[in-house]
Order: sequence, then C-alpha cells, then structure tokens
Amino acid sequence: MGRLFAVEIVYRGIFQKNLAKNISRGIVLAAKHDGKIGISFGRYGDSPERNGIPAKSFAIIATDEETLQEGMAKYEPKETDISISVDDTLCKGVESWAWYGLQPINRLLKPGGTLIVTTMQDADTIIGMAHRKDFPYQLALLRGIPSFSGLWVYKDDHTDVRILGAIAKVLPELLSLNAVELAIKEEWHDDLKVKSARKSFERVEMRVVGPSEGNPETPYSFELPKWQEMREGVTIPGIPAGKAMTDPQTQQAGGFRPDRNPTFKKFSTRTMRPVVDFDTCVKCTLCWLQCPDSCFDVTPDALYDANMEACCGCGICEAVCPVEHCITMVNETAFADNASQWEAWRKDKTGYQTWLQDKITHLPPREHGFRIRGQYAEEIKDLVKVGVVDTGDEKISEQVVTDPHESGAG
Amino acid sequence: MMADAVETLPTQQLEAFKGVKKVPLEEYFTSGHRTCQGCESALVMKLMVKAAGPRTIVLGSTGCMYVANTTYYSTSWVVPWMHTQLGSSGSAGLGTAAALKALMRKGKMKEEPINVIAFCGDGGGADMGLSAISATLTHPQYNVLILLYDNESYANTDIQASGMTPYGAHTTFSPPGKVKRIMHTRWKKNVAGMLAAGHPESKYIGTVCASYAVEMMNRVRKALTIGGPTFIHSLDPCPKGWDYDPMLSHELGELAVNCGIWPLYDVENHRLRLYGRTKALAEKRARRQPVRDFLVRQGRFAHLTADDIDYFQAKIDEMWDKWLLPGVLPIWKDLEVDNPPAS
Repeated sequence: MGRLFAVEIVYRGIFQKNLAKNISRGIVLAAKHDGKIGISFGRYGDSPERNGIPAKSFAIIATDEETLQEGMAKYEPKETDISISVDDTLCKGVESWAWYGLQPINRLLKPGGTLIVTTMQDADTIIGMAHRKDFPYQLALLRGIPSFSGLWVYKDDHTDVRILGAIAKVLPELLSLNAVELAIKEEWHDDLKVKSARKSFERVEMRVVGPSEGNPETPYSFELPKWQEMREGVTIPGIPAGKAMTDPQTQQAGGFRPDRNPTFKKFSTRTMRPVVDFDTCVKCTLCWLQCPDSCFDVTPDALYDANMEACCGCGICEAVCPVEHCITMVNETAFADNASQWEAWRKDKTGYQTWLQDKITHLPPREHGFRIRGQYAEEIKDLVKVGVVDTGDEKISEQVVTDPHESGAG
Repeated sequence: MMADAVETLPTQQLEAFKGVKKVPLEEYFTSGHRTCQGCESALVMKLMVKAAGPRTIVLGSTGCMYVANTTYYSTSWVVPWMHTQLGSSGSAGLGTAAALKALMRKGKMKEEPINVIAFCGDGGGADMGLSAISATLTHPQYNVLILLYDNESYANTDIQASGMTPYGAHTTFSPPGKVKRIMHTRWKKNVAGMLAAGHPESKYIGTVCASYAVEMMNRVRKALTIGGPTFIHSLDPCPKGWDYDPMLSHELGELAVNCGIWPLYDVENHRLRLYGRTKALAEKRARRQPVRDFLVRQGRFAHLTADDIDYFQAKIDEMWDKWLLPGVLPIWKDLEVDNPPAS
C-alpha cells in the first residue's frame, strides 16, 4: 500500500466557499505534478451553506490509485495530515449545521500533523483559542486578514495560492514547491500568483504545540434522540416561551429572556461580536427589534444585552443603532468567553468602560464581505501596501465569478 | 348582504402597535436557527409571530425558512409549526383553517380565535404555489394569512433564479459570461398587485419590508384581524444570494423602498393605500433615490455596466410614471386614447 494524505479546509460558509474550492482543487492539481493522484470535494452535510456558518472541504491525495480508493471509501477523513483554518476565529471551535455540538479546530489532526491558520494574530493567541490535544502538533501561521468575499465576486487576494505555498513548506512529501508553481501556472495562468505562493513558502511561521498548551475547556455536546426514539409523526416539542430576567445586583425581576434552541447555539458563526456602551444607550429598542437571531436579552432596567451564546455576529445591531459608538463590532479573537456584558457593567461601571475601550481600540481589522463595488480592489491594494500580501509593485484585484463551477479558472 | 352565505369564525382583535415601545417583549420564534448571518427572512419570521401572538399556528413550505429553522430534530419555534410541501402553502393554510373550523363546530376543540399563517418563499409562493394561493384567496369563509418572504431566488439550494429574481442578477442559473453579460433578462413578477387585482373577495393584500418593523407587524395584525383569506408580500434582502455584507440587510431594505423598486402599499377592503416612504415618494414629497445606490451595493449586480443600470432605472421610472396605478398595476395609461385630440 502507498501513502494516503488527507487535508481539510475549514472555512466560513459562502464567504469563503470559492476560496476553499480553489485551495482543495489546487492541492489535487499540484499533487498531480508530483506523480500523485487525488480528489477534492466539499462536505455534503454542509450544503446548502449559510453565510458565516462553518463548513469544510477536503483534498484526499494518494501515491497510487488503490490507496486513493481506500481513502475515498469513507464519507470524510477520520484524521488529517493538515487542517487549514482560513479564518482564525474558527480556532475557537466549529459548530457547523452538519453536526451538533462544538468541535475543536484540531480534532482530526494526526500526531505531528499541522494546523495552518490565516491570521494577523500571534501564535499564543491562536493556541489559546484552540482546544488542547493529547499529543503535540504543529501550528503554521500565514500572515493575512482572513479573506472574505461572497458567491459572485471573488476577492482574489492570493490567499488560495499562499496556502498552497505554505503546504509545500510544512509537508513537502505531499506537495513540492515546484509542483505548486506548475499547478498555479496551469490553473490560473498568472505569474504573480506563483510569486505569492513562493513568498508564503519562505515566510510561513511554524512552531510545535504541546499537550499542555491550548484551551482546556471541554467543548459542549448534545445527545439527540435516535430514530427509534423519535415521537409519532416526527413531532418535537416547541421551545418554551422564556421568562423575565433577574438583576444579579438588586434581585429585581423584569425584562425578558427568550428560551433558545438548546441543540444549536450558532455562536461559532461569529467573527465579530457587538460590544455595548450601556452608558450611552438611549433604549430605542432597534438592536433588539431588528436582530434576526433574537439574541438580545431585555434586562430589568430595559437595556439590551446581546447574549453571546446566541449572537452570530451579523452586525445589524451596530448598523441600526442611532447612537454613535454605542454598539461596536469587535474582532472575535479579542474575547475568551461568552460572559454577559450587562452583568459586568452592573458590577463595575468604571471597570467596564476600561474593558470596553480596550476592546474597541486594540484590534486588528476584519472584513465581512461585499459592501460596494470596487471595495475589494481597494482592500487588496492596502494589503499590498502594508506588506500583508507581497507581490512587488504589481496589481492584483477582485473578479466577478463568471462560472460557479470553474471559479478557480483564470 | 347574504350573511348566511359566508360563515367565518371570529378573529383575534389585534390592535396596531402604537410605536416601537409598545411592541411586546415575548418572542415566538427564537434563537438557534441555522440561517445566514444577517438573514432578513429570519427577522420576518420573528416579527410575523411577534405580531400574531401566542395563539397562532404556522405552516411553512419548503425553503430557507423550513430547512434552516428546523434542521434534524431541533427547532426555533415557540408556537406550533408544521412543514408543508413547496407549492402548497395555500392549500395547507386553507386546510388548517378549515380543520380548526370543523373541530370547533363539532365541539372537539374549544371555540377560540386561532391565527393561521402559512408562509412561503418566492420559489414556493410566486412560482410553484401561485395557484394554491390564488385558490385560497377565493375561499372567504376561512381565516388564513399567507405571507410570502421574497429573497428573490431559490436561496436555500444556493441561489437558482426564480420568477422573482430581478433583471440582470447573477444567480447559479445566470452566471455572467465574457460573451454574454446579462443572463437573466426576465423582470420580477408583480405578485401582490396581481393577487389584489384578481381576488376581489380577499379583504387584505399588502406589501411590507422588515426594515420598517412596526409598520410590517401592524400589517400582519391587520391581515389577521380583518378575517378571511389575506396575503402579505415581504421583500427580504438576502446576504447570501444578493452578495453583500450581512450588516447591510436593514439598509438594503430601506434602499429598495427609497429607490422606488419596492413599493409599500396595502389594499384593505378594496381600498388602495400607499404607506410610509412610498407614499412620500408617490406624492413627490420625497425624491426617489437612483437605483444605482441599491445596485452597486450587491455582488449579484457587480457585472452590470452603466447602460444596464440606466435600463434598470428606466424600468423603475416607468413603474412610477406610466403605470395606471403607479407602483401597483403594470397596465399603462394610454393618454391618446383617453383624451383623443379634437378633430
């Protein structure tokens, strides 16, 4: 038997669908130049995707056909040589709608396998977010603001080929840099992309993560009824109506906290979270009323507390809030828990202000999809300027995806 | 009046909310659904049942609001909800209303007003389910509201074009190419206008947009209170299919109204009333925004040229300048025929 390689790409649904497809396809095309064969596919259970909800695609590569067939006999790989997180906030764990409960980003990694993360954060921040593993694994960081675009306009900031270059560095047995370069030329006909892949091969940062490092929490999970246990007519109980809240300081009851779906929390969808300046809130109700996820608890003092177990980080509350800087969306990497902001504010208003200002001002930027025509081109220009994407002085830009089935083709 | 010809059950008397502060805190569609970030249709579901209250039965035909909200043995609904087939929101709503009426008449159920709402997407409602909705609107003896949430494509299955997809939009069925740029040349159906024109026995047919939440909820309350079969059409910006930052959902709803693309109106007991911003635009108290402002914020229109945008604008201008009932009825006034020149 030959050798089988499994690579998974964990990505944000829709925002990174074209990106993930380009990467998994690129891996297979490059492996061909090293005399291997393989197949790339999206995980069936993640389709149809939803904006932001984590999804996966895979590339399975083998040194010979029989080994590939053995690898393909599984619905999805049980373990991976490389797991790629194209958005750093996914390192907190992923709850896709294909399964229930939160799964660690490094769950499928083999001993000695590599987790590649696209991020502007340092290694310690990423390790702190990822759950602990029983054995050492390697972390590889690729500098960059996680690349987000949508179904129809692709932000071609070269993240796809930079990942390929990084793979050639961390696992040369899978792909040689030469094979990556040949595949890029063949697929994209773009020398600039070849250059980007080579740069990332040289620059990818690596370190080993030991079993004592990482988030020690046990990720939450649920037990769902088996099919024999389902009720007649496949009926299920509705969600209870919810009830008033209690102020932890005064024990005063009031407001309203809806009960929520106990088997899907949605917070791993979040790449940004709203932080609320309760001192400036005018109680206009708009954040609460316009939230598609009903994530705001109404407090006894008639304020609106975004419940971090339910918030998926869409940003509509910030958009509709009439008070400047009352609600601000902040990069999710800045937070270690889902604690109530309102309770923290009730306990210590001055301390809360300090915390709030720190969160708002000390953060790397994020992007969140298409806002206006030409915006991606501007953003890429900025990335090149500050050296996050380094292509010399040449221009790279956005593209309308002309054929959804060949979005990788140039 | 032949009072014995049509026997309807009494409806709940749902007064309009007088301002945002009077909106109840309780939620009947709650968190933990698997919709996209910034899903306006999820907001429509939330506001729809918030307006209707706890004594409500909801039927949902296949689409995002079925698949995403009730995936494998879990739900976000507080009120009773049942799935129905893609084209059958009308029949399911009518059947449920008829069943309630029969059960109450036979004394098998306590007599009380229960709201029945059947929702459908644009694929389920405006394409497949149109005939069943039409049939339902001709049955005056049953109290049922049909709500069409229109995100302008089959969004659940990854954005195939529907009869409600606007001109020029990029969908899985209409990818712009190098040789041919515009692959979707159909214009959006005028569903509320069509249903209002064709179903004179329906006491309430209206359009809404969840960016105007209180006005939207009050129209749901009106439709449920007035009795008989009623219909509401909601335009829902869709971050996935329209391709935009989910944060902009609210703003895009407002833009659709302000650009005159989405007219807000209702027909209550045969009386047409434009409301909100649409009324101001029609009465020329406010200026319509150029459609360009709406189009350039969406990736699905990123391939449109300046000429395409001009064409889009011209079609919207026609809607307001040439239609017999501006924004409502796409039959043109023929001034020459109406006012023949003196011979």
